[in-house]
Amino acid sequence: MTKSEVLRVENLKKYFPVKKGLATLISSRKMEYVRAVDDVSFSVPGGKNLGFVGESGCGKTTMGRAILRLVEPTSGKIYCEGTDVTSLNKKQLKSQRRKMQMIFQDPHGSLNPRRTVSEILRQTVRIHELASSKAEEDSMIKDTLEEVGLAPAEEFGKRYPILLSGGQRQRVGVARVLILRPKLVVADEPISMLDVSVRIGVLELLLRMRDEFGISLVYITHDLATARYICDRIAIMYLGKVVEIGPTEVIYSKPIHPYTRALISAVPVPDPTVKMEEIPIKGYVPVSVTDAFSSCRFYPRCLYAEEKCGKEEPSLVEVEPDHYVACFRAKERSLRA
Amino acid sequence: MALLEVRNLKIYYFTREGVVKAVDGISFSVSEDETLGLIGESGCGKTTAVFSILRFVVPPGRIVGGEIIFEGRDIIPLSDEEMRLLRGEGIAMVFQGAQNALNPVMTVGKQISEVILEHESITKEEAWERAKSQLELVGIGSERVNSYPHEFSGGMKQRVMVAIATACNPRLLIMDEPVTGLDVIVQRQLLALTNSLREKMRLPIIFITHDLSVIAETCDNVAVMYAGKIVEKGDTVSLYKDPLHPYSKGLIGSYPSVRGEKKELKSIPGAPPRLINPPVGCRFYPRCPYAMDICEIEEPELKNVGDNRLVACHLIK
Repeated sequence: MTKSEVLRVENLKKYFPVKKGLATLISSRKMEYVRAVDDVSFSVPGGKNLGFVGESGCGKTTMGRAILRLVEPTSGKIYCEGTDVTSLNKKQLKSQRRKMQMIFQDPHGSLNPRRTVSEILRQTVRIHELASSKAEEDSMIKDTLEEVGLAPAEEFGKRYPILLSGGQRQRVGVARVLILRPKLVVADEPISMLDVSVRIGVLELLLRMRDEFGISLVYITHDLATARYICDRIAIMYLGKVVEIGPTEVIYSKPIHPYTRALISAVPVPDPTVKMEEIPIKGYVPVSVTDAFSSCRFYPRCLYAEEKCGKEEPSLVEVEPDHYVACFRAKERSLRA
Repeated sequence: MALLEVRNLKIYYFTREGVVKAVDGISFSVSEDETLGLIGESGCGKTTAVFSILRFVVPPGRIVGGEIIFEGRDIIPLSDEEMRLLRGEGIAMVFQGAQNALNPVMTVGKQISEVILEHESITKEEAWERAKSQLELVGIGSERVNSYPHEFSGGMKQRVMVAIATACNPRLLIMDEPVTGLDVIVQRQLLALTNSLREKMRLPIIFITHDLSVIAETCDNVAVMYAGKIVEKGDTVSLYKDPLHPYSKGLIGSYPSVRGEKKELKSIPGAPPRLINPPVGCRFYPRCPYAMDICEIEEPELKNVGDNRLVACHLIK
């Protein structure tokens, strides 16, 4: 592990057992599992943002939660600044969580409605024992509220979440994280529930976390357009696996994996003069996948599949510096691109 | 004459806290070969406005003024029975969230033929055949006619909703956030379906969404709503290229794209106003970077500035 890495994830797996009736339990048939995250490895350098993009059900949320051990990984290793997060006990995990935090999707559901904004933040300060006196607590809360754009802090601190707009609530969500000065933040669709006109404000705030405080962000989203604005690198997930990962502009300008290409060509463009293209994909996302793959998982939907793709699963291969693709035809496709 | 003409429509909600002016004097029209997009943020009144076209306004909401003229007659004074006949046959709607709009214990074939039987005097068998051809039309295939909604994915359920809405050959289709919550690939497939339906059936559509790019791909004309008002209206291409109202400018300027150069995004400061006590003058005044003294006192009118472009702003003379 290199020193500049904030997060390194190795062979992370999360399988959920499929609950069956009593009959299957007694008949000792093999348990079935949904492979939500199926052998994912990546790393995040300090002060860089990594975006995880995929359709619903691809496992991106489970992966984000597994990084913080909000769900226990089935197997695999997670290192945060060199500490093996997977081996920590409960007490150690609590102090580790000061370094690794999460911003949730729903700004309405993730704030306690019966506490004022400053009480919400004070709770965080107390849990992690950040301040030695009440005056210090107060000044930390005030500074953080101003940092996230909730000024005047005295006034916003007194309000209950119900009196805040969606954008302001999400700023409280950011403040709660920022007050800890963590190294890594996992943000799961942080702006998808906000109004269009306030989204960019929150995105800018997330960018400032990286630029001013050196916080690395793992940004989980289905929205390729906003990911482009705040991520240095992008990972594309399909059915529990990363199929392509690389620098953002490279992924957007010359995607190599057939799935990435389909995904990007499907994103609507806010320009009425651009004509809709045919998406290079067939079929639908399978409803649930419980079997292990003996072929490329994109094989049934791929327009470029060869015989080999149906027999073996490709792993991530570096096609150019820092750009990895899991496709047998990656080399030849990258030449054509 | 326009197929649908909405004139100075006002819909207020009479709540305990006060009167919410959800839709406050909007006018627009849809012609027989037009796709109109209504765009705005949540709470701007776009859904309330189009729900009223089907007279789906429930207490504490009330249509307090204006006219909704469909094919030459005002539908506001129509009786409930007349309105029931008009829905589906005259004006049909695809609702947001298809997952919740379908009956989970009825096959999709039954759900489609039920609508047809309600409006036309044909036999059950004929209706069943029509249901099958509707499923073909939306790209699902007639062999799925006996399936239940839970056997479909989200995108396919939304296709079933389109099949139901178009089953009686309506003269106007309203789609309320039809692709919100769907994955991008499914979303694109549904938009392509909408466009092909429009061509095949020559069906005028009103599209409601908060997503600028969805409008860009489907609509000829677009109306931008803000806080219960239409602030700008025009054809999609020129409005996107050269928005005149500061709010449209802000909305378009804050919208990211995956294509082309990465442009600088600018956010609009503040948040939309509460509609119980909206600002007296221009409703966008508190957030507007170009606000002048007059904007605080006097509400700008929606004026025609040529080329079919309407703008409500004191800046535009």
